[in-house]
Amino acid sequence: MTTRITPPDGTRFTLPEEAISKTEVIAKLRQLYHTWGYKLVDVPALEKYDPNHPRAHQSFKFADQDGSVLALRSDFTPALSQLIRANYPDDVPLRLQYCGDVWQGTKPDFNATREFTQIGLELVGVSNARADAELIHLARESLRTVGLNPRVELGNPSFVKTLFDLAEIEETEREKIADAIDRKDQRTLQSLLEPLNLAKDLHHALLNVSDLYGDIHILKEAHSLAPWPETTRELKRLDEIISEFEDSSELLLDLGMARRLSYYTGVTFRAYTFDFGQPLIGGGRYDGALLPFAAGFSLGLERLMRALPKTQSATSTLVLSLEDAPARLLRKAGYSVERTLMTDLDEARLYAQQKGIAFLLTERGLEPLVRNHPLYTELLLALGEGHA
Amino acid sequence: MKIFFSVLGTRYSSPLGFTVSEPKLTEKLTLALPKGRVMGESLELLRRAGMNLSSSENGRTLKYDAGDALLIEMRNSDVPTYVELGVADAGIVGKDVLLEMSSNIYEPVDLGIAKCRLSLIRPVGESHVIRRVASKYPNITLDYLHGIGSSADVIKLSGNVELACLTGLADAVVDVVETGSTLKANRLEEVAVITESSARFVVNRAALKLKAGKLRPLIETLRELVKT
Repeated sequence: MTTRITPPDGTRFTLPEEAISKTEVIAKLRQLYHTWGYKLVDVPALEKYDPNHPRAHQSFKFADQDGSVLALRSDFTPALSQLIRANYPDDVPLRLQYCGDVWQGTKPDFNATREFTQIGLELVGVSNARADAELIHLARESLRTVGLNPRVELGNPSFVKTLFDLAEIEETEREKIADAIDRKDQRTLQSLLEPLNLAKDLHHALLNVSDLYGDIHILKEAHSLAPWPETTRELKRLDEIISEFEDSSELLLDLGMARRLSYYTGVTFRAYTFDFGQPLIGGGRYDGALLPFAAGFSLGLERLMRALPKTQSATSTLVLSLEDAPARLLRKAGYSVERTLMTDLDEARLYAQQKGIAFLLTERGLEPLVRNHPLYTELLLALGEGHA
Repeated sequence: MKIFFSVLGTRYSSPLGFTVSEPKLTEKLTLALPKGRVMGESLELLRRAGMNLSSSENGRTLKYDAGDALLIEMRNSDVPTYVELGVADAGIVGKDVLLEMSSNIYEPVDLGIAKCRLSLIRPVGESHVIRRVASKYPNITLDYLHGIGSSADVIKLSGNVELACLTGLADAVVDVVETGSTLKANRLEEVAVITESSARFVVNRAALKLKAGKLRPLIETLRELVKT
């Protein structure tokens, strides 16, 4: 008996049904980004290990031949920023798109495959509301392109960060408080804020910032909860982005988004779709983190595939051919034709039926194996026989 | 010049051939509730919050339409998974389970029911160095042990954790204590309280935003109810 070797935890095989629709989805997204002027680039999957990489703790590391440490690509943005600094130092604005696999050593569970395909955009060199709105619009269009009904939610982690600064909250306390805000866990928030003896209005603002979610009218509430000039400035940035949109009724806001406070410096956004419980796209502005001015988003292909309606994609070959010359005509026209490896006609016919192949191509011509196949006339035309 | 965006409510026929379905805004909420005693208290709270919910007819139905919501019943430790993946829009589960699982969900209301504490428990009078701790909560236990500078081993058990102490499988256990009567009967004592727990109303991250019309008022009413 042979031992069955399975792929490592958090990785898996992709079979034709899924591989086909994955390729189609990638093609649609690339085309969308192309029509908006985003140029495709690629970066190596092998990187020099850098402890300051935003995902350094999650990356797979191993030794190079000379003993230095290498890491597998765990995120596109850092490598892209190197590519940009080396090749386009002054070329602004710069619009790039990418697509490829990343490897993240998170604990493998339902949510975290360790190898997955990411597709995304970077808009570099400009920091303004027009640039942010373009990315948010493209996040929505990305989901529409694949047939989903999107809702994009905007946040601004600098709003919470500014509240922390105003309340002079110690660095050591910030992570716990930000986490409670992000989880909308008011009970924990209360117990964390109480011992700090903050000014009443700041205490109130920090306690209630996690409830500032909803449609764009939430900005007004935010203004009255946090009327300080510093927080007003952060709200104004969102307001400017929203006014770029002709129809902002579908936009959602959550001012309690408080993840990666030191990485994101402006708007952050997530895209959802109905009846799927997890965000499909995440992005935002990270001026100064890797490049002076940059924003972008990325989309995990595998999760997106799970959100798509399950369709029966045709994976079987269309024609089984015993004749090479007419097969060449069909292939030239783009049809999928398998060359039979059998010499016996009955055997070939049986094989085709078992494999769900719809036509048999013999010296007598095209023989349909299923009735009323929609492509029958097309195929005859391609063979130069159809005038029926 | 502004970018043109499609108007709310338009139907998109996508290039992939799927038709985009419009959100069904009238759709009922799906709630994940833990089996057992907390189930009754949870239902009562939800009813007081204005939801019209019937009880399951024979008590054996795992998933049923209770009127104002679809209810699914499960082990409490499965609730965060159902909610995180969005199979349930919201649910009720103990803070102890949430701390153990660190799920990526919202927990906006402390319902104040199913109150208990998670404690370090040892046989009465024992005080030698702890080398092995058994628990249903291995993550919380490890965090606690690291916090007090202990390098004891942690083993995960599924039920009757106290037995580990009584049989010598472990020097101590970390478990839920409600009244303490089980401990007394088995000559065990609480050495330290690690954390307090109570049931939380938890919500899926996407659902809170996409079904805000139903969830937001419910959260507000529940908060008012537990305040008094």
